[in-house]
Order: sequence, then structure tokens, then C-alpha cells
Amino acid sequence: MSPEKQALTSTSSAHTPVSEGRSSNALAAALTRALGARKVLSNLSERLNYRYDAIQFGVTPLCVLLPESTADVVAVMRAARAAGVPVVGRGAASGLSGGAAPMVEAVVISFTRMTRLEIRPERREALAQPGVITLKVSEDARPHGLVYPPDPASFRTSTIGGNLGENAGGPMCFKYGVTGDYVKALEFVDADGDVHQLTRDAYDLAGLLIGSEGTLGLITDATLRLSTPAKYTRTLMAHFPEVGQAAEAVSSAIAAGAVPSKLEFMDQACTNAIEDYLHLGLPREAGAVLLVDTDGDDLHTVEEERALVEQACLAAGGQVRRAATDAEAAALWQARRSVSPALGRIRPQRMNEDIVVPRSALPEVVREIRALGDASGLTLVQFGHIGDGNLHPNILFNPRTESAEAVHTLAHEIALVAIRHGGVLSGEHGIGTMKRDFMRDAVDPVTLGALRDVKRALDPTGALNPGKILPDDVAGGLHAHP
Amino acid sequence: MNNDIPAHVPGGQGEVMAHAVDACVHCGFCLPACPTYALLGDEMDSPRGRIILMKEVLEGGLPLMDAAPHLDRCLGCMGCVTACPSGVPYGELITAFRGWSEPRRTRTPFDRAKRYAILKALPAPKLFSVAARVGQYAKPLAPLLPNALRSPLDLLPEHVPAMQPSPAITPAKGPQRGRVAFLVGCAQQALAPNFNAATLRVLARNGIEVVVPDGQGCCGAAALHTGARDEALTLVRANLNAFDPDDFDAILSNAAGCGAGLKEYPMVLHGEPDEARARAFAAKVMDISEYLNGLLQDGALEPMVPASRPLKVAYHDACHLAHAQGVKAAPRALLRAIPGVTVLEVPEGDLCCGSAGTYNLEQPELATQLGQRKAKHILSTTPDLIASGNIGCHTQIQSHVRRQHSGVPVMHTVEVLDLAYRGEL
Repeated sequence: MSPEKQALTSTSSAHTPVSEGRSSNALAAALTRALGARKVLSNLSERLNYRYDAIQFGVTPLCVLLPESTADVVAVMRAARAAGVPVVGRGAASGLSGGAAPMVEAVVISFTRMTRLEIRPERREALAQPGVITLKVSEDARPHGLVYPPDPASFRTSTIGGNLGENAGGPMCFKYGVTGDYVKALEFVDADGDVHQLTRDAYDLAGLLIGSEGTLGLITDATLRLSTPAKYTRTLMAHFPEVGQAAEAVSSAIAAGAVPSKLEFMDQACTNAIEDYLHLGLPREAGAVLLVDTDGDDLHTVEEERALVEQACLAAGGQVRRAATDAEAAALWQARRSVSPALGRIRPQRMNEDIVVPRSALPEVVREIRALGDASGLTLVQFGHIGDGNLHPNILFNPRTESAEAVHTLAHEIALVAIRHGGVLSGEHGIGTMKRDFMRDAVDPVTLGALRDVKRALDPTGALNPGKILPDDVAGGLHAHP
Repeated sequence: MNNDIPAHVPGGQGEVMAHAVDACVHCGFCLPACPTYALLGDEMDSPRGRIILMKEVLEGGLPLMDAAPHLDRCLGCMGCVTACPSGVPYGELITAFRGWSEPRRTRTPFDRAKRYAILKALPAPKLFSVAARVGQYAKPLAPLLPNALRSPLDLLPEHVPAMQPSPAITPAKGPQRGRVAFLVGCAQQALAPNFNAATLRVLARNGIEVVVPDGQGCCGAAALHTGARDEALTLVRANLNAFDPDDFDAILSNAAGCGAGLKEYPMVLHGEPDEARARAFAAKVMDISEYLNGLLQDGALEPMVPASRPLKVAYHDACHLAHAQGVKAAPRALLRAIPGVTVLEVPEGDLCCGSAGTYNLEQPELATQLGQRKAKHILSTTPDLIASGNIGCHTQIQSHVRRQHSGVPVMHTVEVLDLAYRGEL
């Protein structure tokens, strides 16, 4: 049975009389009385649609709440606590680690209607409720000459709340950082339904909430730092006979002092998938392709930095192509943005890894992962924000014909490669349920104990997004993989 | 997404649906492209949510009538198809699903009567024209009527023009360079006969002979997209008999909805004996803008008279042209080929105007909200003229632009070209 199906059947009405029998449950009825029918979804057809994110299939929620204010969130949290029902927060559910998919019967709070956004140009900040679409922050800031740099691939869809929950990054993160680097203050509702206002002073509790995937509290407002866009950008593409050479070029360019704004990498399987799909004229024979942007307000420095990268690429055995015009640069970046659609055409499903390793280890890591992929018999491709050591090895598979166990095993082996080289399990997609199992390999028992203590302090009854991040003592059943 | 869609779903349609469901990876990239998600903000009214609902219904895990309200709210605009990174053929799924589910669902007598009337009147231009005339006289009563009856009346022009049947053959002017077949369309003949007249003039002017084959009828898209599969199949087969693709360089439509419908014939007949014929037919189908742009790109388009003053044209992408057929560049290139014309891009241009298919009649409230939103965005560009390539968008945009007290003219792209050829722009 496929992993999704496993998750589905284990929660379907045949096994647990949840779906239809309790659709008009007492909690939903009470919340409807308190908040109005517009904000509460309790029919099966409505609830079914809130059990998943971009990868996982979870448990159909008991009811779904669409709050319009912090007060609504407080009301839901109190009611859920009184009823002893867990709570799972959710943005656009475009995440890839199962973070927003309920793993047990729960109330799902979907933030898509909390979309208030205020730009304060004089303070270079934006006030955003969690349901604001990420791209909208930059769109509204642009007339004031400001931008919001974090740019996850899903920025047209994903919400600020989801980005905060997963501490999302993107191609710009090497030079400009990830979501958490742009948070000045947060408001959150805790498991008891109390509202807290946090800045980054004293104990950086805001920092703890960011990337906690809704397991410590639900963020209901954020003050985000805006910055000014760079005046100049230069783009180059380099290609290499072998995948490790690209990683060597990255290591030495950065060691030489270059700080590219974007530094992305695609292996041969990726470039060929894109070529099959879009026919952009990418070098099919190359083992790996690098795409690099350097930017800044001083053209001389921007071009000098590009020259540094270029020299490093040539020294590592690559060939370099500069983008002569903006249109040419846009065409090159179109290739990188097309990775997902191109891969979707090869196999219906993919397991997206999200490891980060020290840059010095990159050449060895990408070679080892390539070898693991070749040995596994599964289709494995690699790409990612290689500038900060963030790699996305993707296992492409057909759940009808390929074994879920083999996929899971390969994913685990890849995670172990990252850990062995001093890396971490997640760069920008979170741990969720997908990598929860691997936490025992990555974090020592004492530290894991400390993390559990933190969780217990903020969420004593374990009501917030159970089954995520921390492997607990409940054996099996809660997690779905891959 | 895995599915267990059972084999009892008839013919090739089950296969079509299973394939579409399989291709969805739930990434959510479709969400911002969906007009109903933009209005309602919930998963059930998003493309990926609807895919789940259809899968669950087909697998027997969810009663059809629980899912129906959300599926009925889908405009079929295909904005999600353009946005989808994995190439999910959502259109094939929803169309096939509607065909499968219609005989299995319950409807109120009022609903049934309304659908019957729509499906009878739309493919019969004369009947539609009569209905439109009756409606025209009923317009003063509109404020008294419930919304379901009021909104179609709001869309009618003040004066329903006289029918202008298209000649069987329109000869090329000057040396003949091509020969095409033309689908005249249904509602369009009654509401905007000048679209066809302008099309014939522009083609003839460019040395193209235009044949209007006898025996052609409605493309069948309206029936197909509302789930009336049997009616649709009758119309599809009639057109396959009327048009012999070997006789023509191209089979042209000037209505985005009809053109998209014609291009769907191979999907409709998937797994049936006529599938190969449908493929040969669909391979020749082009929108009028695609065909004329082909001439333009070959340097073969007759030059047009410059506009009498600099003219800003807001171009509205009809969903069935941009999303269903992927035709976005051609109409813009043609408008830009008129000296003095600047083409303006409309904010939120990829979002449907709310008039897809019979949506105005079936979901008047959502259609009105989308129409208002579209008119506001178009007018924000301060255009001198609004151009589009579909009768449905045309009536919707005209109606909402007027309601926002603007007198900016709304035209079919080919009407603008025709005026330019005649030196009247």
C-alpha cells in the first residue's frame, strides 16, 4: 500500500468513526455559536480539504476554523483546550514536510482570512497578519522603494504565517538571510489562549517561535523588517563536467570573498528535465550547472564579485556564460524556477530533502549523494541554494511501481550523509513529520531532552500540532512517510 | 496523488480523470490563480481542493451532493492550468467529472428548467436571438426580479442587433493566399454579429478565402462543461461531419470559448472510434488571432491605417484563450501592429472576469463580484479602448464597465483590426 493511502485509510471512516459520525460534533457547534457559521467548517466535504499540505496526507480534522482576528484565535484555543482537542495552525499549506497536516484528530485553524497588511515606510517595516501572501509584502512595499527579501519558491502562494512557522528561505538567503532574519516583533497565542507580544530582546522567545511549526504557539501578527533593493545585478551561468566540480567552485569563490545574492545549482538530471520541458538551450552534457547573481549599489564591486566567481568556476574546470542583458538573465533564471514543473513530469511523486552542510564539505556531499542515488535504482536529482550549503536532493518515484520503503531508506541515508559531514536536517522546509524520525540521528539525547522541556513549558498538554518535529514516546502510527 | 478511481467510470473518461488526479502533487501553486479562492479563501473552492473532492466522490468516500456546491462554483476558467507547475490537466478532470456526475445528482425543478432553457437556447442562434429580444423588453423589470433572473438581463445590450447570417463563401480580395473554414458561433451571432462580419472582412483583406461549412452547429462546449455529455457528443459529431480538415489550411474560431471547445474534441472522444478524426480536426483549429499573427510573423499581414490619434488599448485575456488555449502573445502582437496603438496590461490580468461559460446564469453573485473587480482593474489603466477575444467576456466587461459609469468602448480584437483597415480607428 502506498504511504499516502496508508495515512488515508488509517484515518478513514472504516477504521475510526470520525469522518461522518462526528461531523456535527459538540465543539464545532459551540464554536459556530460563538463565532458564527461563516468561520466554522464542519461538513466532511469541507474538513477533508484541511488534512494535507504539499506532500503529506494526514487525519481529517474534527472541524476547521477560519479566524478573522486574534480574538477569534483566542476563542478557538480556549474552546479546544476545554474540549481537550489538539490544534493545528495552517497557512496556504504549500509546505513540503507535513508541518500543516494534522496527524491526529484536531481543530485546524486556517489563517487565510487574516490578511491585514500595513507598510510603514518611515520605519522600514511591515505589519502583517499570518494570512498575508508573502509576495504581497514586497508588492505593497515597492511603491515606497522597499522590498521584503525572503523569497521561498512558493512566495506567490505561501503565507507569512507559514513562512514564520517553517522559517522559510529561498535563493536570496545566502546574502540576505531567511524569514527569521526579518522579524522585529511577533504576537502569538499560547496553548491556554493567552496573547503575548514579543520583541527580540531579553530571551529571544520570538526566535523560538520562528521555525517551531506551530508546536509552541500560533503567531497572529508579525512586524517585518523591509530593506532597499540593490541598484545593480549581474548574472552568470557556469557548467561543469562533473557535479563535485560545481561544489568546488562554490567553496573557492566564497573563500575568495564573493558574496553572491543568489547561488543556485542543478545537476545533470535537473537540467535535462528542464530541457525536455522548455528547450532553453541548457548544456545537456554538463554534470552540473551553477547560476549566480551578484548585486549591490556599486557597479564596480558587483562586477568584481562576478569576476571572482567566474575565476573560481574556470579554475574548477567549468565553462562560463555571462548574461549580457536583463532578458538573458531572466531566461537563465527561468530555468531554475522551472525545476519543480520539469520534475513533476518525470514521476508523479517526489520526496524533497532539504539538508544543509558546511560549504567545505559540499563537493564530497554531492558526490556521495549522487552515488547513493545511482546505487538505489531510484531516480534522484539534486539542486538547491548551494551558496549557503543548502541542497535539495529529490527522490522521484511512482508510488504504483516503486517501493515506499526504498524511498524512505534512501531519504534516511541522505540525511545521514548530511549529519556525518556536520550538517543539519532542514534548511528551509522544516522537520514536520517527514524528518521527525531522523531527529534522533541529528540531535543528541540530552539536547533532545532540552527541546522537549521547552515544548512542555509552552504547551504542557501537547495540544499544539502533535506529532511534529520531536520524536516522542508514542511508537509508530503518528507519522507518515515518506 | 494516488487514487483508486474505480474502473466502472465509463469509457476513456475514467482514465482521463485518474490521470489528472495522479498528476497533482498538492503544491498549492494553483491557489492564487483561482478566482473563487480569491473571493472565498477556502480550500474547497480552490483547484487542489476540488481535485480532492472529485477523487473522494469517484472513490465513493464522499457523497456527490456534499461536494457539488464547491464543484459547481468552479468557473472552468483554467487559470489553475496555467499556474500548475506539474501540468495537471484540470480541465479534462472537471469536464469529464461533470459529465459523469450530472446524471447521478439531484437538482431542484427550477434549476432543471433553467439548465434546460440554457442548453436549448445557447446552441440555437435564432432561439437565442428571440430570447434576447424578450429579455431586452424585460430589462425595466430587472430590479424587481431575484438575482438569478436579474443578472442575465443586466448583461443584455440595450438594443439586441439584427441577425446577420454569414455567407457560405467569402472570397479573398486580391490574389488568394489561403483558405480557411470558419465556425460562426451561437450566442455571438445574436448578441454581436459584427464580430463575424469584421472577421470575414479582415481575412478577405489578407487574401484568405473563408468558407462557412454547412451543417456546422454549436461547438458543444457549454453542454460539455455543464455536464450534458450526450448533448455535447451529438454536437461534436455533427461538427466532425461538417468540417473536413483536409479541405482547409485552418479551422478558425473568433470566440475563445468555442475555440477551446473545438480543441477539446480529442479529450471528449478519448477511447472512442472517432478519436483519430477528432485529433485531425483539432490539429487544424486556431483562434483568429493565432492565424492572423501567423501572417504577421511571416511579414504577410496587410498593413493597417495608423490610428487617428495615439490610442491606449487595454487588452483583456479571455480565460479560454489565455489559459485553455495558451494564446496570449498573438492578440497583443496584432494590436501593436496598428501604428499608434499602445497595448496596456491589466492588473490581476490572469483572473477570470466571472463570465466563463454559463457562470453568470448559474452563480450570479460570484460572477457579479468578479465582474466588478475586473472592470475596476481594467479602468485603472485609463484606456481609450478595451479589447478582448470572447463574447462572454465582452458582455460581462461591457456591462460592468457601464455600471461603473465609464463610456470606454469594449471591442473584439478583430473589430479593432477591422476599424484600422478601414481607417476608422
